[in-house]
Amino acid sequence: MKKLILSISIIISGIISAQTISQDTTATKNKQQNAAQNILNGNSSKGITVGGYAEVDYNQPENANGTMDVHRLVMLLGYKFSDKVQFVTEIEYEHVKEVYVEQAFLNYNLNDNVNIRGGLMLVPMGIVNEYHEPTTFNGVERPNVDKSIVPSTWREIGVGVTGRFNEVSLGYQAYIFNGFASVNGENVLGGSNGLRNGRQKGAESTISTPNLSAKFDYYGISGLRLGLSGYFGRTQAADDIQDIDGADVGVSMFGFDARYINKRFSARGQYIHALITDANDYNALYDTNLGSELKGWYAEAAYNLLPLGVEQKLDAFVRYEIYDTHAATNEANIARNLAYNRNEWTAGFSYHVAQGAVVKADYQLLDNVVNGNKTKGQLNIGFGVWF
Amino acid sequence: MVLKNIFGLVFILFFVISGLTDKLQKKVDKVITSTFEVEVFSMQPKIVSQDIELPSEFSNNTFFEIKNNDTLLGYAYVSKAPSKTDEFDYLIVFDADLVIMTSKVLVYREDYGGEIGSKRWLKQFVGKSTSDDLVYGANIAAISGATISVRSMTNAVNNVLKSIKILQHKNLL
Repeated sequence: MKKLILSISIIISGIISAQTISQDTTATKNKQQNAAQNILNGNSSKGITVGGYAEVDYNQPENANGTMDVHRLVMLLGYKFSDKVQFVTEIEYEHVKEVYVEQAFLNYNLNDNVNIRGGLMLVPMGIVNEYHEPTTFNGVERPNVDKSIVPSTWREIGVGVTGRFNEVSLGYQAYIFNGFASVNGENVLGGSNGLRNGRQKGAESTISTPNLSAKFDYYGISGLRLGLSGYFGRTQAADDIQDIDGADVGVSMFGFDARYINKRFSARGQYIHALITDANDYNALYDTNLGSELKGWYAEAAYNLLPLGVEQKLDAFVRYEIYDTHAATNEANIARNLAYNRNEWTAGFSYHVAQGAVVKADYQLLDNVVNGNKTKGQLNIGFGVWF
Repeated sequence: MVLKNIFGLVFILFFVISGLTDKLQKKVDKVITSTFEVEVFSMQPKIVSQDIELPSEFSNNTFFEIKNNDTLLGYAYVSKAPSKTDEFDYLIVFDADLVIMTSKVLVYREDYGGEIGSKRWLKQFVGKSTSDDLVYGANIAAISGATISVRSMTNAVNNVLKSIKILQHKNLL
């Protein structure tokens, strides 16, 4: 009997010492903490995460009045229920007065390679829609390809899988999303901004047909990262009109992007091509001018003027961009508007004063291919933070 | 009765030998098996004096001696480092001369920066030793879209190398 008690006590002491040890290794895991401590201790394996990003801009066009804007102020709030289950949301104030939920999804980590995810999520297309925090791109404003062709911040409600295979340095995402609205309140899809007006953003969004979105990221070559994205589906029409010709259009979008960094030099570029079907019927029904193809690309190079190994970074950059929301119009049965074939040069500086805080200044030359169009200049100054 | 005693003993051995969780231990075992090409090995904590200030944590459950029978094969270092909003677990395996043989991100817990798990990227640490100073962006390549985690992993490995240097200097290793 004594032996039994002894062996039980050995087992118990074993368990206790094991717990003490595992507490040491995970530091914060088993400690009692209130919500505030959890927030302050953002690095816990469980509990609340807070973060955010913001950008404040001053845009000064030549020969016109400028604008000053708290362009975006976004609060990130996450909660980790366990190592497997996590909720992430981003609440966004745009131009001070507009409030949006930018992301709100539940993630289930199945294993090292697979996550199942559902909710309001970013559509993976190009670079900036997913990596839109102001410290991650050059220029006060996002590239216009990522505004007029990829309508960033493009997000809809959906469900899908995401993960990576580190053996082959490949990341993947595949989702079924709700699509663009054919008519969004008063707004229809059109020539100048392409699909942008159709974003439903998860706000009482109408669904009639699901859309498919996928992206592959390859990062197996030192310093280089390549992305290949695809998006396929149709716009969403309301019940009462969905059987009328032109109630919706087909959308297929392809994207290729590359990012490169080697010591003080960095570069990036992307190409986005969207094909719209049934735009002729749509244009007739809604008296609008949606093109049958949207296309754009940009290339950018930057050089860090400060030595490596210091905390600060001062990137001087130049970017050239072409984007055309009327890349093709014949099948859409509308006249091509050359003013929608736009190009721009952007050159300036991104001064990263600390990791996560950047002061930006750039000058843009905005032009289009209309005969005799005068190039417009614009100065942009702003700061961005991400934490 | 005897069975219960053995049970108790096994319990203690299992936990005292490595204080790692089951899941982590399995992953570590796999890497060690393939790195040293051995099926049987022991992994025992290498206790270093707690009184020394080191850039990295060197408690019971971080630094281990890897032995095959009584032959020292090398060392393993297991710890956590911060990613953007969470922490990841990583492993560094050294040969008997404390030169890095391999490294691996064992568990990564968030979207941003998961690319540091890339086998290709982690290869950069192979062959590094206490005589190397790792500088993010200079001799350790950056990854677009994973800046924070790349910096963090670089710092982590750097600090472990610095700690080992200090321990060697004090003749504790």
